[in-house]
Amino acid sequence: MSGTPLIQVKNLQLYFGAFHALKNVSLDFNAGELIGLVGDNGAGKTTLIRVLCGIHKPTSGEVWFNGERVEKFHPKLAIDQGIETIQQSVGLCDNLSIARNFYLGREPVRRIFGIPILDFKKMREMSTRVIREFGLRDNVSADDEVERLSGGERQSVKIGRAVEFKNRVVIMDEPTNHLSVREREHVNELAVALKEQGLLVIYITHDIFQVHKLADRIIIMENGEKIEDAATSAMTADALEEVIRQGGRKVEKREAV
Amino acid sequence: MQTPLQALVRSQSFGAVIGVVLMLAVFSIVDFSGWWRSQTLANVAHFSAILGLVAMGQALVIITKEIDLSVGSVYGLTGVAFITFEPQYGVGGAIILALLIAALVGAVQGLLVVKGKLPSMIVTLGGLFAARGLIYVWTGGSVNNFSQAARINPLTRLFGGELFGIEAAIFWMIGLCIALNIMLWGTRFGNRLLATGGAQDSAESRGVRSDHVKIATFTLCALLAGFAGIVTLADKPQTHVTLGDLMELEAIAAAVIGGCLLSGGRGSLVGAVLGAFIITSFRYELIALGAPSSWFITFVGVVLIVAVIFNQSLARRAGHSV
Repeated sequence: MSGTPLIQVKNLQLYFGAFHALKNVSLDFNAGELIGLVGDNGAGKTTLIRVLCGIHKPTSGEVWFNGERVEKFHPKLAIDQGIETIQQSVGLCDNLSIARNFYLGREPVRRIFGIPILDFKKMREMSTRVIREFGLRDNVSADDEVERLSGGERQSVKIGRAVEFKNRVVIMDEPTNHLSVREREHVNELAVALKEQGLLVIYITHDIFQVHKLADRIIIMENGEKIEDAATSAMTADALEEVIRQGGRKVEKREAV
Repeated sequence: MQTPLQALVRSQSFGAVIGVVLMLAVFSIVDFSGWWRSQTLANVAHFSAILGLVAMGQALVIITKEIDLSVGSVYGLTGVAFITFEPQYGVGGAIILALLIAALVGAVQGLLVVKGKLPSMIVTLGGLFAARGLIYVWTGGSVNNFSQAARINPLTRLFGGELFGIEAAIFWMIGLCIALNIMLWGTRFGNRLLATGGAQDSAESRGVRSDHVKIATFTLCALLAGFAGIVTLADKPQTHVTLGDLMELEAIAAAVIGGCLLSGGRGSLVGAVLGAFIITSFRYELIALGAPSSWFITFVGVVLIVAVIFNQSLARRAGHSV
């Protein structure tokens, strides 16, 4: 991993009114890396990735993507640049079919009498292939509305969608919540496979032990601050857990390890 | 894949289809000879088409999980503009200017809702009063008419005339219903409109500009209401200050009877037209049966509540979370 990092965050500050959500966060993310972003509830993990995927505009500080400074923050711009985010509670519209959800915001069209009409055939074929690949029930078709799906199936659609489009960054926010053991393993294998294809994968979780097995590097956040940034080869999961438990007292802890 | 019958049963307009069938059955039993007359059907179809145009716009707005209370006033204002501008700008110029006014009202309301993060019920209630007030100020309460030349102008006939003995409004409504259905179900804009109403956060996370979608939808709704006003006045070119009074409530009722859920994301344009047909038919038939005309309003209320209960139970049966 040489050259400029794919995503660079410099001295990022974000306030929601008086609430200081991100405190002077600086980080580098490289292509081909799987990064575990860990921390308790309210640590600022989700806020940080919401900046990266264009939902929040930072109060101050810089975000660089692929060597260029990001000036405008909007989900559409992030998606256009190849940053795909799998969020916990949003991403699918219950009232739309799987095929329509799959292509939402980037719908393929073909011209009929000059009018761009949705290319339903392509939408259906592609999403059908992905949902079969991701092991959705056989009686679920791409024309079914998403509201029919179980939690795991919904997650599979979101991940399948992120994988299918040739992206450069895949951000997964608690991707294995509500999943069965087998579904969880499948998701974790996918995360590693994406990394091996040269993508940057940011994997957000509470579970340090789970992500330690997958990640190249672990970043720990606490109260809106980055408190640890270490290669998994350098620190054991137990040591990292201790850092989380101790909050800001990482320096002494490191020496103890 | 679904069979056409399954698709119909699952569609939002199924309740309205049943409603129309029941209504026609009842009218046939109580007043067969009165109802199935060409004069009756022509009148009902004409007014259903005009209300249907307004109701389709309303349906689109409701699908985005907003509401537009201003359509009655916009209908009136556009109609008044059409008649008032004609001496100066000719029929064609008056139509374009009148529609521009409608689009402007819709766009401003949409902008206020989206950029001001204001409830559309309040913004469009303001629009209802403001546009109605403009009608009073503009006309001074007086009645305006078309000249004889304007009445026989080909454009006036195109919007208000007849073809094969059928009113132009009906052709316009059917044509626009087809075009709007293609737009809603077959285009990128339609997919994003449905997504915005179904789950705005999720739509935005996919890069959908829900603000643009809503502004466009409010503009389209106002344009349809305005167009309905032009079609009405091209047929009977005479303005009065109460033109379109309370029409917003009938349009909302039509859209809701037609299966639009106020929770957003689900609705039917065909259903909205059928809803308009049900409301118009009740008005006509109650008068024909000799009921005092004021009973009509009560009937609309009852039909509306029955329709909502029925549509909700249909939606739950189809497995939708409503």
